[in-house]
Amino acid sequence: MASISAKRLAKELKEIQTEGCPVGVNLLRADDFQTWLFSIEVMGESLYKGEVQTLQFRFDSNYPISSPAVQFLVRENEGIRAPIHPHVYSNGHICASILGTEWSPVLSVVAVCVTLQSMLASCKKKERPVDNDRYVLHAPENPKKTQFHYDDDTV
Amino acid sequence: MASDAVRAQVSAKWQESFARLNRDQPGITGLLNFSRAFAISLSYLHPRDINDPTVVRSANVPHVRAAMSTVNESRMLPYVLDGYLDEVRKRFNLVQKDVEVFMAEYAESSDPDVIRRLVFRLLAWYEAWTPLPDLGPVILSGYSLTFQTLLFSNLPPTFATGFKALCASTLPSAIPPSASTPTPSDYKMWAAFESLGLIDRFESILASVGYEHIEAYVLEMCKGKWSEPMLEGLRNWMSGKVVPWMLLAYARGAKSTEEARNMLQGVGSRFDFHMNKTLCDLRTNEIFDIIIDFPDSMGALVDLRDCLQRVDQRAELVAALRKANQKRLLHPGAETKLILSQYVATIKCLRIVDPPGVLLFKVADPIRRYLRERPDTIRNIVANLVGDDDTGDSLVDENEPIQPLQQADAEDYSDPNWEPEPIDAGPDFRANKPSDILSTLVSIYDSKDLFVRELQVLLAQRLLSITDDNVERVEKERRNIEILKIRFGEVALQVCEVMLRDMTDSKRIDGHVQSQEESVVHPTIISKHFWPALESTNLIMPGQFQKLQEDYATQFTHFKPDKRLRWLPNLGTISLRLELEDRTVEADVPPLEAAFIELFSDKNIWTIDDLTKAVGAVDRAAALNALSTWVDLGVLKEDEEGVFRLLEVAEEKSALTKGGKARGTEANPGAGGDGVLPPVTQQQQQAEQMRIYWKFIEGMLTNLGNLPLDRIQTMLKFAPGYDQTVEQLGAFMEAARREGLVVVREGMWRLNR
Amino acid sequence: MKVTVKRWHAVAQWRWDTQTSNDPQDNDDDDDDEGNVCGICRIPYEGCCPACKMPGDDCPLIWGECTHVFHLHCLLKWLNTPDSKQQCPMDRRTWQTAERKVPVINRA
Repeated sequence: MASISAKRLAKELKEIQTEGCPVGVNLLRADDFQTWLFSIEVMGESLYKGEVQTLQFRFDSNYPISSPAVQFLVRENEGIRAPIHPHVYSNGHICASILGTEWSPVLSVVAVCVTLQSMLASCKKKERPVDNDRYVLHAPENPKKTQFHYDDDTV
Repeated sequence: MASDAVRAQVSAKWQESFARLNRDQPGITGLLNFSRAFAISLSYLHPRDINDPTVVRSANVPHVRAAMSTVNESRMLPYVLDGYLDEVRKRFNLVQKDVEVFMAEYAESSDPDVIRRLVFRLLAWYEAWTPLPDLGPVILSGYSLTFQTLLFSNLPPTFATGFKALCASTLPSAIPPSASTPTPSDYKMWAAFESLGLIDRFESILASVGYEHIEAYVLEMCKGKWSEPMLEGLRNWMSGKVVPWMLLAYARGAKSTEEARNMLQGVGSRFDFHMNKTLCDLRTNEIFDIIIDFPDSMGALVDLRDCLQRVDQRAELVAALRKANQKRLLHPGAETKLILSQYVATIKCLRIVDPPGVLLFKVADPIRRYLRERPDTIRNIVANLVGDDDTGDSLVDENEPIQPLQQADAEDYSDPNWEPEPIDAGPDFRANKPSDILSTLVSIYDSKDLFVRELQVLLAQRLLSITDDNVERVEKERRNIEILKIRFGEVALQVCEVMLRDMTDSKRIDGHVQSQEESVVHPTIISKHFWPALESTNLIMPGQFQKLQEDYATQFTHFKPDKRLRWLPNLGTISLRLELEDRTVEADVPPLEAAFIELFSDKNIWTIDDLTKAVGAVDRAAALNALSTWVDLGVLKEDEEGVFRLLEVAEEKSALTKGGKARGTEANPGAGGDGVLPPVTQQQQQAEQMRIYWKFIEGMLTNLGNLPLDRIQTMLKFAPGYDQTVEQLGAFMEAARREGLVVVREGMWRLNR
Repeated sequence: MKVTVKRWHAVAQWRWDTQTSNDPQDNDDDDDDEGNVCGICRIPYEGCCPACKMPGDDCPLIWGECTHVFHLHCLLKWLNTPDSKQQCPMDRRTWQTAERKVPVINRA
């Protein structure tokens, strides 16, 4: 029996292919049902104007019951960095409630992209999280393993 | 004045010669003896005229022998011989005269016996002029050569024809079978042939006699006869009837069977080869019809297989079959069903003829490509699979074990039975090798999904057409599905499982509802997403139908509180009884018809516009169609265009309204899937088509007078898009006859003038 | 003329009653739309959840007090995870299964 994640992701993919993505969001790669890549650009006037970020989604076989592992893609040697935002660590991990306690199976990949897009858009000041360096030093590879505390309601 | 030296030379020569001729005899006796001996020899060797009884060769052979040895002692024999041969040349005109006489006779009578007599006559001349055997083989062969050369240059070209006929007449005829043992006179004749050098000279004619005889026999015995293998019989005939003749012709001098066999080896294998080739060519020409006839033509296929091993004509076979397919099979006139069954037969036949499958591959490709283009190929295959066919023949062998579909596999080098491809295999050969028939058919398309979809559609149609409580039919479908699951896989047929369960659930639910509140409604309740897309409609059932629906739906929801029903009113069948003033009409009709007639129970006259509005707006063509059903049953009448009246009292049936046919019988449920039109419209289309073809037929009959039905059919097949069977044509012609357009007598149709 | 229906072999689709109001039950929808799918698996209610093979009673729906409806299996899967906090996936209110109302029948 095909996994529920495969069936759900197939539907989401089909919808993206027929209806397209919201403005500023583009599907870069969806070759399998394990890892997908999107590009995110914040439209209009914002601190991130002109910046294009890559968002990586990783799914396990229980998606959408289980949330996807989402992070910005970082490649130090190519000069690709995570956006500078109080909730985004320099290794690309994101502290957003929607990815953790506020995840719901009725959400979708596109919904997450849009949410993160607006998270960036509504940012007032470009700065790293307070505990960035310490976190990055000991961070697990998979951001889901981290117990984030969501102290900010803007996400 | 001759010089002394010259004189001396001449004198020396003379002395030498004299000594030679005189030898050791005293005086000139030697010379005299020699002279006598010389004369005797010449006289003996002189080519005499055998017609002249007075000139007789000397009987005193020892005498001649002695004379010749005398001459030989003087070493003058060569001169004698030269002289002799010269004489032969000069006197050959005697022989020539005879030749002319005989050939003139042959020109008139064409009787091979004339040639036979000529040969013996020539032999007589030959023997009359033959030198003594004592003179040695060299002399003899010299004479032979001279004689034969002269003979051949003197024989007219017509002799060859006559000779051929003569040889052919010595063959034992096959029909009626005659004795095959040669007669003594036969033997003599062949000896004569040999002496005269005719066998070598006309070797190719002789061989061609043999070839033609074999060919004629093979064709006579084997043409059109395919049920038994013929090769063994042919070989027996060869050794029984032909070999004795061959012995005469080629192995007369053999002193033992061993020697004879050796002498016959070359000719024998050539003849055997020719026999195989003839049979091979014959079967190659017949191959298309052999395949049609399969499996009754098994014998021919086995023969072909065996012949091909000796005679490598595989390329010719492929070319012939491809050409035949192109001409007779792959054209618009052939029904898809026919092409499919011929394709399957081709597979089976070629697998017998060529087990590695190279031939099949080359032949199958055009057929497969053509089938892929036809829109109804999948439907036909699938229909045949589930036994939906009109014919009883199953494409897929029911005795083959049912197994999952095989995909084309990559090379399996670990297989111990792996063999390299045959040398004449094409580049795609290995890539294309599923072994059972169904897999082969499915592999025409790139994926089996198309098949699965078609299967679903077909199953849906069949299930929806079950209008009664017939549990057996549902069970039959279940069994089909089980088999198909093995072939196509469980996942692919999951929806079919659901469809089947809907059927049994419907029955159970209906049972419960009926027990609560009896209803004439017995619905099939389906799970929306597991049935193929069915036509949607705006139809609203009026009057009592509405109430029936609502009541049932209420009961349903009582039974299943979380659920409700959504009717598909355009599907299904309603069994009605109409009680009219003077009669009762019973009919099973589709819902639209029922809706309309229900409206007529309120009001006797309706316009078509009002009718369509009253049922929620339906297609005008469909409405007309539905109404024509009632018209055909004599229930309604179209008084003026678009206005219909209820016939409470029966009236004379008027002409059919345009389009449509009476359908007082069980109607098919509406669409089966993907928006396919209901069958009646297709019938209308067919009737239209036939009217177009009427123009062709009219033209044919005008120009060609009388024609039998199958001739008309053959010619119509050239018309674009013509796809009727000869039975359908027959029915059409019959209809035309009733209308007085044509008449028929003893199977011949002509226009009615 | 009197028309008597002897037997009517009809065809109907069964539907879950996911209407929240008392609309008449006929031609109401193009329900291939988003409206009538389970939010969790995105499969129509009349289809079955990803874990099942047969729709209908074998794969029923569950109605919440909050009026949201899901496939039973889908919701249970969700509620069985600690992250769910027993909340409705749509509105995050604590899930409360509705008492099934008897549908109101609209009769003239």
